[in-house]
Amino acid sequence: MENEQNDNVNRDELIMQQQRDIEREISDTIPLVSEKLPVNCLNAEYIGDAVFTSKIEDLSAKYSHLRRTRPDGNCFFRAFAYAYLEHLISNKEDYDKFRQLGENSKDKLVQLGFPSFTLEDFHETFMEVVKRVDPSTSNPDILSEQLHKIFNDQGYSDYVVVYLRLLTSGKLQEEADFYQNFIEGNFTIEEFRHQEVEPMYKESDHIHIIALCSALGVGVRVEYMDRGEGGTVKAHDFPEGQTPKVFLIYRPGHYDILYPK
Amino acid sequence: MAVNMAVSRIKREFKEVMRSEEIVQCSIKIELINDSWTELRGEIAGPPDTPYEGGKFVLEIKVPETYPFNPPKVRFITKIWHPNISSVTGAICLDILKDNWAAAMTLRTVLLSLQALLAAAEPDDPQDAVVAYQYKDKYQLFVMTARHWTNVYAGGPHKYPDCDAKIQRLKDMGIDEHDARAVLSKENWDLEKATESLFS
Repeated sequence: MENEQNDNVNRDELIMQQQRDIEREISDTIPLVSEKLPVNCLNAEYIGDAVFTSKIEDLSAKYSHLRRTRPDGNCFFRAFAYAYLEHLISNKEDYDKFRQLGENSKDKLVQLGFPSFTLEDFHETFMEVVKRVDPSTSNPDILSEQLHKIFNDQGYSDYVVVYLRLLTSGKLQEEADFYQNFIEGNFTIEEFRHQEVEPMYKESDHIHIIALCSALGVGVRVEYMDRGEGGTVKAHDFPEGQTPKVFLIYRPGHYDILYPK
Repeated sequence: MAVNMAVSRIKREFKEVMRSEEIVQCSIKIELINDSWTELRGEIAGPPDTPYEGGKFVLEIKVPETYPFNPPKVRFITKIWHPNISSVTGAICLDILKDNWAAAMTLRTVLLSLQALLAAAEPDDPQDAVVAYQYKDKYQLFVMTARHWTNVYAGGPHKYPDCDAKIQRLKDMGIDEHDARAVLSKENWDLEKATESLFS
């Protein structure tokens, strides 16, 4: 039995180690957020695939560029934050509103019962990032460059992801009755937040997107590109009816940033 | 950057634990064991009304470079008889130390969660199958064994002369004290079975 136990511990360890190795291998090859790439760069991944080729063509008609994000389970949050902050660089009015909302968000989360100790840490870093793209401080080109640098610095980038996860979790808690309807299986909202929202690297679903968009009052359009029929990508706006400021492409398991023509 | 973030975060957490309520009540404690801030020693008091009451349990805490995005590695150094903790290695089965870790958690959260684990075992998700089986099948024996281990290894108050006598019998046969205790615990303090399993 002792041996068996040791084996179990070791096997657990080995699996976790292997997982870390794989994660590291991925992170070494793909930047957290890439440079802007032409949309048709996607073709290289789907050579000879009629369904995807036709969908990429459809996508190219509406969007000129995309930015890849690292497929580490945080892609939705990272893509969202990058794309929205990039939008704010050239929209002073939206920027001021967002900055105010960001400032106030910490107290709200504390009221919802989040531990202020760690929250302060993430909020501070998040606000530091927001301040560093303040449109009144420099010209858009310099700020965009700055944004790109910050988002490829793992420390800052991940702190921003954590804070967005907390905001999402807070929204789910605040409107638990509403969001409970979206949860499949026997999860309570509480369990879902602790298991699927707050931990890093957990992938995002519709419910994460809806909660984050409504927490921040930002519209997002997601273009879905999968093996489904029709030869065109399918757009979905969150929340429905709101003018989207952030454009993302979803391929099964992964989000990247899109730039409309 | 990543390493510095882990270290500066730990430094801040260290202060947090130091000024927290629980430390005033001597319920949790955290210490540096070297200057690196990546290896720490934790201590939790056994919760009241549990077999661990009165015991102090020492923990090894290793902080990975990627902290707080990945959980700290924690194991019991003090030997303990609990379904979710290996009686052999001290390895812990607790969701927040694995998949459900979140960067907003702290070492304080971990220590308090471990205390909660001592107060509410989850025998259906065991780390130590033998202990879990005893917990479910022979609960009274489990409580006695856990108290006995708490007494011997963690300074708990409940002595069991009966257990000590049986251990002594095996020691007289040349068995190491801890090995004797482990095998007797596993065999529900049946001396005959314990002897059998040792010498067969």
